[in-house]
Amino acid sequence: MKDSISKEQLLLHPIGKVWSAITQADKISTWFIKADFKAQKGYQYTFTSEGENCTQITGEIKQADPYTLEYTWIVAETNVETTVKWTLQETSEGTVLLLEHTGISNYGGETAVQMFTSFSGGWDNCITGLTEYLKETVHAG
Amino acid sequence: MQDKITKIFKAIADPTRRDIFHALVVAAVALPITQISNQFQMTRQGVTKHIKTLAEAGLVKIESQGRERYCFADPKPLKEAKKWMQFYEKFWDDAITNLDDYLDQKA
Repeated sequence: MKDSISKEQLLLHPIGKVWSAITQADKISTWFIKADFKAQKGYQYTFTSEGENCTQITGEIKQADPYTLEYTWIVAETNVETTVKWTLQETSEGTVLLLEHTGISNYGGETAVQMFTSFSGGWDNCITGLTEYLKETVHAG
Repeated sequence: MQDKITKIFKAIADPTRRDIFHALVVAAVALPITQISNQFQMTRQGVTKHIKTLAEAGLVKIESQGRERYCFADPKPLKEAKKWMQFYEKFWDDAITNLDDYLDQKA
């Protein structure tokens, strides 16, 4: 089974602006998730969802040089380390964003129990799209 | 008929059921319902009900031997890393859409 997710997206914006959006705490907090974040190697960041009983995501910045940002991604209560890497490439149209999330198969067995537990604690009001995801999964049966 | 995910969520939503499932995972062998009842200081009926919910989710298998029923954990439904792949596929799609919208607003 493959162990990574890759996303590629053309953004019609200058590379500097995209880089700010993914590396500055106030901006991350606006479009993604409430963040205590500094784009400095070794910084221990925390993402906190604002809903009730929400799960935190923590990790360490591994690389933060324009235009590569890499950090570990640990969902609270799981102790399973995965890695998220953002790479930006300048093009004539704007910026190509490459996102890679690796190590996902590390989740399994009892870890999965804990993750399900944190979901029942209310991830659905934490992170955009989860409710929708669950609905789709349920309908897909 | 409830679908698989809903059953798993239902089974795992209750702390007692999580404890029972956990105990069975840790035991790694089939345990008789009587022993589980003793361990959790619950009535046989109470445990049987929880076990049934776990069994419906496929997390516990039940085998009868004589008068006793033995239960063992099957974490396979949870082990499907594929589910997490699907979850994160959707998660990152949404995140990138949000990022794109955010950048457009700030144009």
